[in-house]
Amino acid sequence: MDTPQNDPNQPQSPIGGPGDDPNPTAPTVEQSAGPDSGEPRRLTRSRTDRVLGGVCGGVARYFGIDPVIARIVAVGLVLLGGAGVLLYLAALLLVPADPATGTAGVAAATSDRGRTLGIVAVVVVLLFTWPFLVGGGFLLAGILVPIAVLAVLGLVIWWLVSGASPEGEPRDVAKQALLGVGVLIGCAALFAGGFIATAAGGGAIAASLVIAAGLVLVVGAFAGRARWLVLPALSLAMAVGIVSAAGIDFDGGFGEREYRPTASSDIRDRYELAAGELVLDLRGTDLPAGDTPIALDIGMGEATLLVPDDVCVASRADIGVGAIDVFDRQNEGVDLDWEDLPRAADGNSRVILDAEVGMGEVHVANDRPFGGFESGRFDGSFDSGDRSANTGCEPSTLSVGGR
Amino acid sequence: MNRPSPPDAAALVAGLVLVTFGAVLLLDRLEVLDLRFGTLAPIACAAVGAVLLATGLTRRDRA
Repeated sequence: MDTPQNDPNQPQSPIGGPGDDPNPTAPTVEQSAGPDSGEPRRLTRSRTDRVLGGVCGGVARYFGIDPVIARIVAVGLVLLGGAGVLLYLAALLLVPADPATGTAGVAAATSDRGRTLGIVAVVVVLLFTWPFLVGGGFLLAGILVPIAVLAVLGLVIWWLVSGASPEGEPRDVAKQALLGVGVLIGCAALFAGGFIATAAGGGAIAASLVIAAGLVLVVGAFAGRARWLVLPALSLAMAVGIVSAAGIDFDGGFGEREYRPTASSDIRDRYELAAGELVLDLRGTDLPAGDTPIALDIGMGEATLLVPDDVCVASRADIGVGAIDVFDRQNEGVDLDWEDLPRAADGNSRVILDAEVGMGEVHVANDRPFGGFESGRFDGSFDSGDRSANTGCEPSTLSVGGR
Repeated sequence: MNRPSPPDAAALVAGLVLVTFGAVLLLDRLEVLDLRFGTLAPIACAAVGAVLLATGLTRRDRA
């Protein structure tokens, strides 16, 4: 994988003594830790005889063989099931590089930055493509591709937080990526905490924390280093912002709720659910003539209102992100304001639905969606095969299409 | 005599952006404003853009 270069510091003999080195002022690893010095030989990556990380150059020097042979063996190991890739990556991380001594060594160390970024790019591409090119299929891809994505994300986060490009030895870059992933996990935890706290009613405190973090940053810009605070504060701010914009609140508990009132007196004014699925089945309810107001407040999830065929449904909905379908009318998107207020046909009851949903869906129909809770999420299909219509209303008052 | 080092422009802009954004969020939570995604998205884009711009200009100054 590496190509030899004409370097005066590199002895052709693997354990070459000082006499072999044309530049005696530039000590080599063998000179400082050779058999003559009484110290064990150290395996190091070559700074000068390398294509990628200098692993093959270092191994060849250690065992006293031609570097070309080491590279041929490495390529063979790559082709034989990909073990060479793993070994090379392990050596890249675990084997230290030569000390940057001598003119050539210092020059090589100076060019390390671009080379490091190149190695990172090669490693990431390898992680992405290895399961498909070498073997392992989707099972291995399920492990390696997320690792590659995390590594890239970690380095980007490191760059954002530190303001410096990843550089140094491969093990240093790995540490930087790990630190970046740690920051990412911390920010995700902060986002989740801020989301839950805001939805649970602590939004004012969370917003105050964002302001406080901003003030610390302003002071830190003059007094010291506080740039690391940007991402955590931004994560918290985004969580509070999303919950606020969607109007999510965690009143009413979590899970699946199904209500089947039998008499109109059993119908509540308001049904609340923090997150989950709620079904209000009025098909067996003795609804009075006139209007019956019903309010649904869902933080995140799905609400379904089932009514008899002869009941007219007027509906208003405020949905942060999601969709609504009232019989054969649908709409979806963000900041969704829905209003459909037909009048009931003579003698029919009318249900006036007022729904507030942070993130989720509202369904109004005469039939239960396929399977209800048992089938998981609503798929837009109904037991009868087609969406029913708002048949209990006066036809001339029905709006055309959804809005 | 050492001149005082200039402030970190990226941190300064990010701090000001966060103070402003936090104030908007606080007003929403206190029900003074009604924040929607239609208003949140441009605010968030402008905030991130301002921080990136400040960061980029700082790097150019250093170069």
